[in-house]
Amino acid sequence: MAEIPDRKNMTTADILAFCRAEVASAQSSAPEAEPAAEASADEEAWEVAEESAQAEAPAAPAKKPTSTKDILAAARASAAGGGDKPAEKASAKPPTAKKGAPAAKPTSTKDILAAARASAAGGGDAPAAAAKPAAAKKKQQAAAPAAAGSGEKPSVKEMLAAFREERSAPAVAEDVPEGEKRPPKMPVPPRKPKKKPLPEPVAQDRRAFLAALLVIPSAFAAAWVMLATTTAAWGLALLRFALPNVLVEPPSKFKIGPPGDYDFGTVSTKWKAERGIWVVHTDRYKGKNVIVALSTVCTHLGCTPNWLEGEQKFKCPCHGSGFYVDGINFEGPAPRPLERHGIAVAADGMLEVDKSIKFQEEMGQWEDAKSYVEV
Amino acid sequence: MHGQDLTSEVIFGLGWLYLLLAVMNGIWTYRAYMAGPARHDHESGEKGHEGEHWEDGPSLAYTTVWSIISMGYFLVAVAHFSGTSDPEAFLIRMPEFVKSAVDRLADPALYFAGSIIAFVLVVVLRRYLINPTTAWVLLNISVVFMALSMTDYDFRQIVGKPDNVPIVSMLFIVGYFTWLYFRRAVDNDDRIAAGKSLYEQEDNDKVLVWPDLVYTELICMVALTALLVVWGIVLQAPLEEPASAVKTPNPSKAPWYFLGLQEMLVYYDPWMAGVVLPSIILVGLMALPYIDFNKRGNGYYSFNERKFAVLTFMFGFLPLWIGLIILGTFLRGPNWNFFGIYEPWDPHKLEVLNNVNLSEMFWEKMGRTPPVAPSGSGAGTQFLYIMLREWLGLVLVLAYLVILPPLLAVTIFRKFFARMGFIRFFVLANLLLFMACLPIKMLLRWSFNLKYIVAIPEYFFNI
Repeated sequence: MAEIPDRKNMTTADILAFCRAEVASAQSSAPEAEPAAEASADEEAWEVAEESAQAEAPAAPAKKPTSTKDILAAARASAAGGGDKPAEKASAKPPTAKKGAPAAKPTSTKDILAAARASAAGGGDAPAAAAKPAAAKKKQQAAAPAAAGSGEKPSVKEMLAAFREERSAPAVAEDVPEGEKRPPKMPVPPRKPKKKPLPEPVAQDRRAFLAALLVIPSAFAAAWVMLATTTAAWGLALLRFALPNVLVEPPSKFKIGPPGDYDFGTVSTKWKAERGIWVVHTDRYKGKNVIVALSTVCTHLGCTPNWLEGEQKFKCPCHGSGFYVDGINFEGPAPRPLERHGIAVAADGMLEVDKSIKFQEEMGQWEDAKSYVEV
Repeated sequence: MHGQDLTSEVIFGLGWLYLLLAVMNGIWTYRAYMAGPARHDHESGEKGHEGEHWEDGPSLAYTTVWSIISMGYFLVAVAHFSGTSDPEAFLIRMPEFVKSAVDRLADPALYFAGSIIAFVLVVVLRRYLINPTTAWVLLNISVVFMALSMTDYDFRQIVGKPDNVPIVSMLFIVGYFTWLYFRRAVDNDDRIAAGKSLYEQEDNDKVLVWPDLVYTELICMVALTALLVVWGIVLQAPLEEPASAVKTPNPSKAPWYFLGLQEMLVYYDPWMAGVVLPSIILVGLMALPYIDFNKRGNGYYSFNERKFAVLTFMFGFLPLWIGLIILGTFLRGPNWNFFGIYEPWDPHKLEVLNNVNLSEMFWEKMGRTPPVAPSGSGAGTQFLYIMLREWLGLVLVLAYLVILPPLLAVTIFRKFFARMGFIRFFVLANLLLFMACLPIKMLLRWSFNLKYIVAIPEYFFNI
C-alpha cells in the first residue's frame, strides 16, 4: 500500500526520482492511467498486486472516494500499511512500496511525492497509473523548475531548487480544504526496496550528518586507505621475517663417511640427533642391497621414532607406529612408510646425503636411483 | 626394582590418608546416629529432607557398623604412623596376586568393553547407586583401592606425577557429579510418576543475589585461590629436559585433557582425529540446543523424560572422553604400548600390532595384488587406479554416511524423524554416526587388525 508521503523525509534522491517520474508521466497519456485496476494490468503492477493481495482491498475504495469519510478510511488503511491485515501486524511486516495504490485523488504535495516514490520503486511507468490528471497538474507545477533544466543528471543547483520547492510546499498543503486534508501522520514502517533500492528516509538531523559525509568523504576514504596501507606494510614485514638473510642451520647436503662404515644389516643412529637421518644398510626392500638415508620423522604425526635394536624396528612413542628396518610401516596408525632422503657417492668416495629432496615409497619414488646407493 | 618399592615416606603419607578416612567415616557415623537413634530418643518431630532416603532413620546396627569401620581405619592409620624400621617388611600393601590378576587384564579391548559395561550398569542400577550408603561404600572402596595401590612402585610412578594429580581428582569429581545427577533425576522421576510436584518447585532454594549468592561466590573465590596457591607451591610443575626436534620423550603424552584425542589418533589419521572429528565434536555440542526437540526436562533434573539426550551425552562423555583420558594416563606406557597399572614400564615390551588396510585384505582375499597404475601414467590414470584399489572402503564409508541416516529415519528413529523434520534429523543422524565411528574403528582394529578402511596416502586421505 502506498505510504503516507512524508515531506520532511524527502531525500535528494527522492526528489530526483520524482522529477524523472514527472518527465515520464508528461510523455505518457493521462487517460491511460485512469483506473487503478487498469494500471495493474501492466506487468510490474501485477507483481505488486500478487505480492500483497490484501493491498488491493483498500485501494479499491480509494478509487472512488465518495465522501470525506472514505478518503480518511483509505488514508488510514494505507498508513496502517496492511490492507485487511490487523494494524498490529503492520509494524511487524513493513509493507512494500506500492504504486497505483495511492488515493485516486491526490490532493496535496504529499500525494504527489508518494506518487514520485512509487514511481521510483516501480520503474517509472507506474506514476502514470497513479496520478490522476489533477495530480499531474500539480506535479507539473511543482517539478517545473527541475524538469526544465534536467538532463540525465541534474546539477546541484537543480537539486537545491527542487528541494526548496518542496520546502515551500506546506503552504500549498494548507490551502487544501479542511475536509480533504489527510489525517495526522501515522508511523510508517520502513519500506522494503523493490527493484531499485530506495534510500531510507532519514530524519532532518540525520540528514545533516549525511550531508557532512558528502562534504568530507575524502577523510573516510583516507582513513581506510591508511588502515589498509598499514596492514599491508605489517603483512609484508611479517613475510620478510619468514625469509631471513642468514639461515642458521646445517647445509642440506653433507657427507657421512665412506659406505664401508655402514655394515650390512645395521641401522646407524649416529646422525639422528644432528641431522635427523638414519643410515640403513639392508636388502629387505625388494631384495636390493642398498644403503639409504631414512628421515627420522614419523609419517603419522611427525614425532621422532626410536630404533629398537632388539625388535629390529622403528617405534614411535606418540601413537605406537612401527616401521621395519627398511622404513615400511607395519603397525600402529602410520599411513605410509618413512621417507628417504637423497643419497649418492660423492667424487671422493664418501656418501653424501641431500636432505633437500625426499622420496616417498607410496608415490613409487623409491625406484629413483638418487634415493639409494647400491652396494 | 624392589629396593625402591616402598619407602617410609610413602607409608607415612598413606597414614594420613587412612586417618582422613577414619575422620570422614567418624563424621558419617555421627550423622547417621543423629538422624537415627538419637532422633528417636528425642522424638524430634519433622522429618528433614534427608529423612526421606533414610526411611525411619538409620538403625543402631547401621551406626554401629560404621563406627567399627571408622575405628578400623584409625587403627590402620596408627599402624602406618608407628611403622617399622624396614619399609620392605611393611605388611599393609596390595597383595601380589591381585596385582598380577589386574595386570593380566590389561588390554585396550577389555578396558573399553569394561568401561561400556560399567556405564550400562550405572544407568541400569541407578536406583541402587543413588542410595547414599551405596555411594559412601563405593567411595570408601575406591579410596582404599588407591591407597593400597600406592604401595606399588609402578602405580606410584603414574599417580604420584604432579601433572597426573588433577586426573585423580577428576575421577572422583566426575563420579560425584554423575551420582548427584542420578540422585536428583531419579527423585524427580519418582515425583513425576506419583504426580507430585518436582523437587525444584517444592524445595525451592532460591536465595537473594545479595548477600547470599555474592557472599557464597566470594568465599568460593577465596578458597579456590588459596587452594591453587598451595597447589602451585607444593606440587612443582613437571619440567622436563630441553626440547629437541629429534628426541621425543617416550612415552609422549598430551596434556591430560587431550589424552582422549591422542587415543583417537591411534585409530585414525591425524587429519581425521586431529581436525575433522574434534571440529565435529565442537560443532555438534554447539548444535545441541537446535537439535533438541524434547521440551520436557527443562530446568529440572530428570532421566525418564530425556532418556535419549542424557544417554547420548553420557556415552560421549563418560566412556568416550573420560574413559579414554584414564586409559591414556594410567594404561599407556613407552612406545604407546598398553600396560597394566602395576606393570613396570618396559620400553621393549613387544606387542603384535601388525595392521593392514582394508584394500590390502580385500585384494589378498581375491588372490591378487592391489592394482597399481603403470609407472609414468598421468594423474588421471593414477586416480582411477587408486579408486579401483580402494573401491570397497569408499563404498563402505559412503554407505555408512549416505544410506544409514535414511535407514535410521525409517526404522529405529521413525518417531524422531517425524518430530524433528528433515534437516534436524539428518544433522542428528550424522553427528551420531560420527560419534559412533570411534568405537567402530576401535573394534575393527582390535578384531581385524584393520588400519584404514580407505587408505590413500598419495592424497593424505585415510579413514
